[in-house]
Amino acid sequence: MRTLFSIALGVIAAIGGFVDIGDLVFNAQAGASVGYPALWALPVGVLGIMVFAEMSGRIVAVAKKPNFVLVKERYGPRLSTFTLVASLVLNVLTLGAELGGLGFVLDYFLDVSVSFFVLVAVIGVAAAIYFLPFGGLERVFGYLGLALFVYLAASIKLDPDWGEIGRGFVPESHGAAVYWYFVVGLIAAALMPYEIYFYSSGAVEEGWDERDMSVNRANAFVGFGIGGVIAASILIASTQVLKPEGISPESVGTAALVAQVPYGELGLVLALVGILFAVGGATVDTAFSAAYNLAQHQGWKWGKRFRLLDEPRFTLSLAGFLLAGFAIAQSGVDPIELTEYAVIFSIPVLPLTYLPILLVGNDAAVMGRFVNGPLARVLGWGYFGLICVLAVAAPVLFVWTNGGS
Amino acid sequence: MARRCLAVAVVAAAVTFAGCGGPMQPDELKRSIETLESSAAEGALLANGVARDRTKATFARVHARDLGETVDHEAEKLHDASAEGRVALRKAAAVDLAGRIAEALGQIQTAPDSTSEGRSAEATLTRLGDRAGRLAEGL
Repeated sequence: MRTLFSIALGVIAAIGGFVDIGDLVFNAQAGASVGYPALWALPVGVLGIMVFAEMSGRIVAVAKKPNFVLVKERYGPRLSTFTLVASLVLNVLTLGAELGGLGFVLDYFLDVSVSFFVLVAVIGVAAAIYFLPFGGLERVFGYLGLALFVYLAASIKLDPDWGEIGRGFVPESHGAAVYWYFVVGLIAAALMPYEIYFYSSGAVEEGWDERDMSVNRANAFVGFGIGGVIAASILIASTQVLKPEGISPESVGTAALVAQVPYGELGLVLALVGILFAVGGATVDTAFSAAYNLAQHQGWKWGKRFRLLDEPRFTLSLAGFLLAGFAIAQSGVDPIELTEYAVIFSIPVLPLTYLPILLVGNDAAVMGRFVNGPLARVLGWGYFGLICVLAVAAPVLFVWTNGGS
Repeated sequence: MARRCLAVAVVAAAVTFAGCGGPMQPDELKRSIETLESSAAEGALLANGVARDRTKATFARVHARDLGETVDHEAEKLHDASAEGRVALRKAAAVDLAGRIAEALGQIQTAPDSTSEGRSAEATLTRLGDRAGRLAEGL
């Protein structure tokens, strides 16, 4: 029972990773454009993040090393610095998009101005980070983001063709480049670097040791599984509502409208509340991920488990990243487009993120009896190969299909 | 060597940008009209929520405004683009259509809590969405 209630880290990492502002709209676009045939991509991506999250959590429990410390140890100074810079650029861009997204969602409730609510959002997130303990952040943003289960209810209420949905989970070959753009995007969205950096550093924050292996597995499999179910529900509900009408979603409001169709105002409000806390969770994920990576690369003291005022460099960098994200959001750039670019151009960096986890997970000298078993090795190297293919395919498909249009 | 590289880069840039600024092509116009069709359809869905009192007024107003901005932006792009022959005729029709869609979305924006305005806007936007679909055919 304790294990089940302690999955908040996995939930916030999954909610913030799978249903951030860009993924919300991307899942809706996949449903509106391709429909059920894209569904099989989601469990492929979800299984990948489960494998690597469990592995990185196990590494933390045994070796007490989060992912970016592994990056620094396993790569030379140039490559680890390159990985750091790439991750920071992508994190800050994504952070800007998430804050912009929060501004839009709050404006749907109160209709003042998006710019004003971006300011409200950054103050709110900063206050939450300062006043709440790490576990509190996980529980508030993770569990309140579960209001997005309204999409699962909507999918069922809209009385879909379950046979077609089932067939959608079976991979099919399609010639259309747009189909493969969405398939690659859906798989890659589940494997975004900041999810794994946040998860592994979060495991250190939680103080996991060898007694927490079941907690790690619960977080990785149940937490990310929940994120996958929500992502699939958004795609299915969008297929039912948007595709028949020829609606191409370009904003988070369209995604929210999908929940309104079967459930009226209640569905709309639940969707907006879920989106608010999911995107808020993504904001927390990306801000912490950036600050963790910098601190771990530089060898600074870091973490919410200490008083923030006792670690000024970590705290200042966290504040700096939030401010940088705020500046990007206030520039008026479309947050959806910004995350699409951030996602597509983060994919070539994915192999650098995941390789150290695999190398250390397979290292019996470090992991002892908790070293990767045969299944983890096969899945780990299989997914690493897939990630390398995605690293090449994603930017090409993005350009070829003009961003999926 | 550096001068040769610069010359190659200039030629490549010239070739790349030679296609820009020319008359609008049928596929470009089709994409613009499809954006109008999508906005009209989404506006009709939003108006349906207003007509049946199944939405939040602030959401309806803000979302109608966002859709209106998308339509206005598309209308501006269409107006500014040059076109020839059949494409020019359809482009003019698309600009007119965009204006009508924006006007109907404005109804929702002005009165997001009026069921009668919602019904009227829904009917208009559905009709305009169908017209956009027919306009895009054959391009």
